[in-house]
Amino acid sequence: MDAFEYQIKKDIRNNPIVREVDQARMREMWRSARVICLFAALAIYSAWQHFELIHYGYRLEELQQARAAEEQINRHLRLQLEALRRPQRIEAIAREQLGMVPPGPGDAVVLERVTPSDPPAHSVVASR
Amino acid sequence: MSDTPPTWRRTVRRRLLAVAVIFGLWAVAVEARLVWLQVVRHEYYVQRAERQQQRTITLPAERGDILDRDGRVLATSAEATTIYAVPTEIDDPVATTDALCRVLEGCRESKAWRDALLERLSRRRPFAYVKRQVSPEEARAVKALDLEGIGFSSESRRFYPNRELLAPVLGYVGIDNKGLGGLEQTYDRVIRGEDGMSIVFTDARRHAYDRVDRPPTRGASLELTIDAVLQHAVERELRAGVEAANADGGVAIVMDPWNGEILAMASLPTFNPNVYGEFSPEHRRNRAVMDIYEPGSTFKTITASAAFEEGILTPETPIDCSPGYILIGSRRVNDMHRYGVLSFADVLAKSSNVGAIKAGFRVGGERMLRYVRRFGFGSRLSPDLPGEQAGIVWPELNDSALASVSMGYQISVTPLQMVAAVSSIANGGQLYTPRVVRAVIRDGVRTPIEPKVIRRTISPRTAAIMTAVMEGVVERGTARAAQIEGFSIAGKTGTSEKIENGVYVKWKHMASFVGFVPSRKPAVTVLVVIDTPRAMGRTGGVVAAPVFRRISEVVLRQLAVPRNLNPEPPVLGGQDVHRVTHCITSCDVLGVSVTSPPGTITSRPRTAPARCPRRTGARGPGRP
Repeated sequence: MDAFEYQIKKDIRNNPIVREVDQARMREMWRSARVICLFAALAIYSAWQHFELIHYGYRLEELQQARAAEEQINRHLRLQLEALRRPQRIEAIAREQLGMVPPGPGDAVVLERVTPSDPPAHSVVASR
Repeated sequence: MSDTPPTWRRTVRRRLLAVAVIFGLWAVAVEARLVWLQVVRHEYYVQRAERQQQRTITLPAERGDILDRDGRVLATSAEATTIYAVPTEIDDPVATTDALCRVLEGCRESKAWRDALLERLSRRRPFAYVKRQVSPEEARAVKALDLEGIGFSSESRRFYPNRELLAPVLGYVGIDNKGLGGLEQTYDRVIRGEDGMSIVFTDARRHAYDRVDRPPTRGASLELTIDAVLQHAVERELRAGVEAANADGGVAIVMDPWNGEILAMASLPTFNPNVYGEFSPEHRRNRAVMDIYEPGSTFKTITASAAFEEGILTPETPIDCSPGYILIGSRRVNDMHRYGVLSFADVLAKSSNVGAIKAGFRVGGERMLRYVRRFGFGSRLSPDLPGEQAGIVWPELNDSALASVSMGYQISVTPLQMVAAVSSIANGGQLYTPRVVRAVIRDGVRTPIEPKVIRRTISPRTAAIMTAVMEGVVERGTARAAQIEGFSIAGKTGTSEKIENGVYVKWKHMASFVGFVPSRKPAVTVLVVIDTPRAMGRTGGVVAAPVFRRISEVVLRQLAVPRNLNPEPPVLGGQDVHRVTHCITSCDVLGVSVTSPPGTITSRPRTAPARCPRRTGARGPGRP
């Protein structure tokens, strides 16, 4: 008969044993975590900037096209305005629609001629 | 127990090795491909990427404006739509052509135009113009058709909002934005500016997201000496004169004699520069500088100036014109009437050829030529206008030629030369460069072009004598039709036969009048030339002088020149005193701001200020 083998588990009470926290390692871990977070934030920020740049590129292009279109409309309106101010047209309207006639020799009397002075040399004028 | 690893371990190891080799080969292949693409074929793929991602666009420079002296726009540029086709994308060229021709001007009416368009669309090419620089209405109509293979682009186009006004002076611009005539041609390099460039970065969907610009440099604007309102009035009166005389054409020039500024320059027939292609070169010509003519009796002013300046004659010197003709060799020159003995002043007043020839003989050929050149004849005067003729002046004058030149024949001048010469008499003897451009405006900075004196022609004393003599022409001579009430006018009529094929044509004339007003302190010099009048008469006094009068009346009113004969009394009476006095201090009179002190008008004490006459309503005062 084989010998009856048994083992009595020794009750080891280790509850009072407390694992010691390695403070240095913890600091290192947190430092690493912070650095990783920082890099991650930088990467996200960089990507965000990149996409914002592209977004604003599109927006800028749209606005430039809109501005060009507005400028074109402005030029056409100015052209239309100048065409409406044509002396021939104004005279035709005055004569035919309003029944006006050119002033006769005695209708306008000039008392004194005041000639406008010439603009100074190299003057800055408002751009149209 | 054996040392050899179990079978499964060997199997795993072999398989791992195989996988590692495969991965290694894959990595080598990838690396090799990357080296091929990024190192060996680097340049090729960079260029290809740039072609796909970047577009280089030429930014055309905007052409500068042309303005009159008050800033009114005479020529400007604006975007116009150009319609193009991609023929390779058009399945049915005939249907596309028909659809386009229904809405495009020109194509509707012209079969040749339609056939040409059909031929362009039928060729299997990537690009063809349908019509360049169309009107906004045409562009809208074509866009509404939504045709396959038809596209639109923008081009800068020149517009002349006043149409025919000043057209021969302004010139015109070709489809490629290059000046082809007039000021547009002379100042093309100044007005055109410099094209810019833009590199546009696009994504895979060809949407632009970034660009690098080298902006275009806008062309400079020109400020002219021309007054658009005067120009309109001058063109209107000249047209009326040409139509009344049933003439072939005409020229009128209004010049400021004190600085050479041209205030108006009209040439008929004229054209619309917006559609210059529809007019013949005959219409597009600026006759004021490109045509030469024999001035006839207006040139007697030069003969007289030479005689007075050299002290050979005085206005009172008697000259015998009694036979009514003079023989120069076998040639006989007639007067209109037998005048008898005339003072030299009356020789000019009655425009006696015999008297002028006798005066010319006294001056002599050499001296006469010296004065002809001194007055600017035989040379180009203005740098502004292209195609200006120098005229024809003979290098030497024999007796016959001297006789002819003395009365304005055998010498050819341009209207511009004639008005400049008479302006030098008007201003006391200074010959100014006639000019049309007053200033150049670039980037908002106005750089004026200063008046330039070419030379002194005659002394102020001679100019004063000439003024008095020319006044006689208007008061009692051939130009009584030029008289304007309240103004003294100095002038001279001219009538010359035209030369065709080297022969004088008896029934074709150039009728002209040149004068300045008010003669004692001239505001303007005005020249009128009527080409081949058929109705009314043929002489300058009958045909051109009335046109001069009508033009001068408008010019004097527009420039607010007060009358110098029997001027308005300086002291006013009754209600006018208060009204005018008050207006002088606070209103503007006749559209001109007046800042003179009230004392210059009246010495009476001012009482309660009267209200200014209100300028209400569009209807102006009619004729009394």
